Amino acid sequence: MFVERGSLGQESRSFLRIKMVSKQTQSQKNPVWVPAGLIFLLVSMVLLLPPGRGRAGEKITVGEVEDVVLIPWRVTLPARIDTGAATSSLDARELIVRNNIAVFRLPKKYGSLQLSLPVTGWQKIRSADFKERRPVVEITFCMGPKLIQTQVTLNDRSTVSYPLIIGRNVLKNNFVVDCMHSNCLPPSCPEVPSP
Amino acid sequence: MVRLLSLFSLAVFTAFLLFVSEMASAEEKVTIGTTEDVFLLPWRVKLPARIDTGAAKSSLDARELTLHEDRVEFRLPQKYGGLRLSLPIIEWRHVRTSEGLERRPVVELEICLGSERFRTLVNLADRSMVKYPLILGRNFLRENFVVDVKRRRAVKPNCPDVR
Repeated sequence: MFVERGSLGQESRSFLRIKMVSKQTQSQKNPVWVPAGLIFLLVSMVLLLPPGRGRAGEKITVGEVEDVVLIPWRVTLPARIDTGAATSSLDARELIVRNNIAVFRLPKKYGSLQLSLPVTGWQKIRSADFKERRPVVEITFCMGPKLIQTQVTLNDRSTVSYPLIIGRNVLKNNFVVDCMHSNCLPPSCPEVPSP
Repeated sequence: MVRLLSLFSLAVFTAFLLFVSEMASAEEKVTIGTTEDVFLLPWRVKLPARIDTGAAKSSLDARELTLHEDRVEFRLPQKYGGLRLSLPIIEWRHVRTSEGLERRPVVELEICLGSERFRTLVNLADRSMVKYPLILGRNFLRENFVVDVKRRRAVKPNCPDVR
């Protein structure tokens, strides 16, 4: 084989044909080279795979804004993914708390559904020039493949662009935030049939 | 038959190489936590930063802020050495805060985060109410970071030419 390859360029045509024929029969005689080559390719593929990929795969990457679906009402809301917020919060209009039940509406833009949910706690807000107490309720929503049950504070967020802020209390649940993207994870909870 | 097989395996291998290179470029992104220590350059002041995907722009806690034509003078918080800085104003920005609209001067800062230096725009505001003197917002994070919310202080500031 080696000699043949070295002399290929200078040989006459007829000689070349003979050589090629002999080459073909040789490789047919030695089919061991084919599986060996395949195995080599497979091994190099495994070695080339970046390490720790499986581990990173468990984390769910979300963008800076994601659509989530409120359960059980199946209202889709765009949510700001906010690593700067310790807790999550929901835009609640016409909010009234009576007998420990918070009654409010979602913003008109998202169907102004009226909800009444039990208040599970109060959050004190300290800010430069005012003190405030906001009711906390529990909601369930679907973000990407995950059904998330979480506490959210209720307040009128009409000055802010997104009706739902998802803070670190939810994102600690193995999420990774990539600000280069938004809406990279459409809601797809197995428990929730798509509308 | 042999030639077909080898051609096929070559094709598979090439596709795989392309896939790996694509993944590698996605992995070039630096993973950081929800708070990180950074160095302010060239002064080498170490500041803890809040990594805030909820903030559109980065901002720095600037005390005793005064304006001198196209420059702005301020102090870093006493807790971080109280260094007095004077920087050119790049622009003025209306910033939407939880309390309404505010007009803030914007300056350019160089910081060391992890093993790299970055130049980025930050707006200046008295943030004495807030826990972190530096907020790194989306204008910075879009450069090449992903935030792992389970982690804090995931990378140490360690730029080769800064000690």
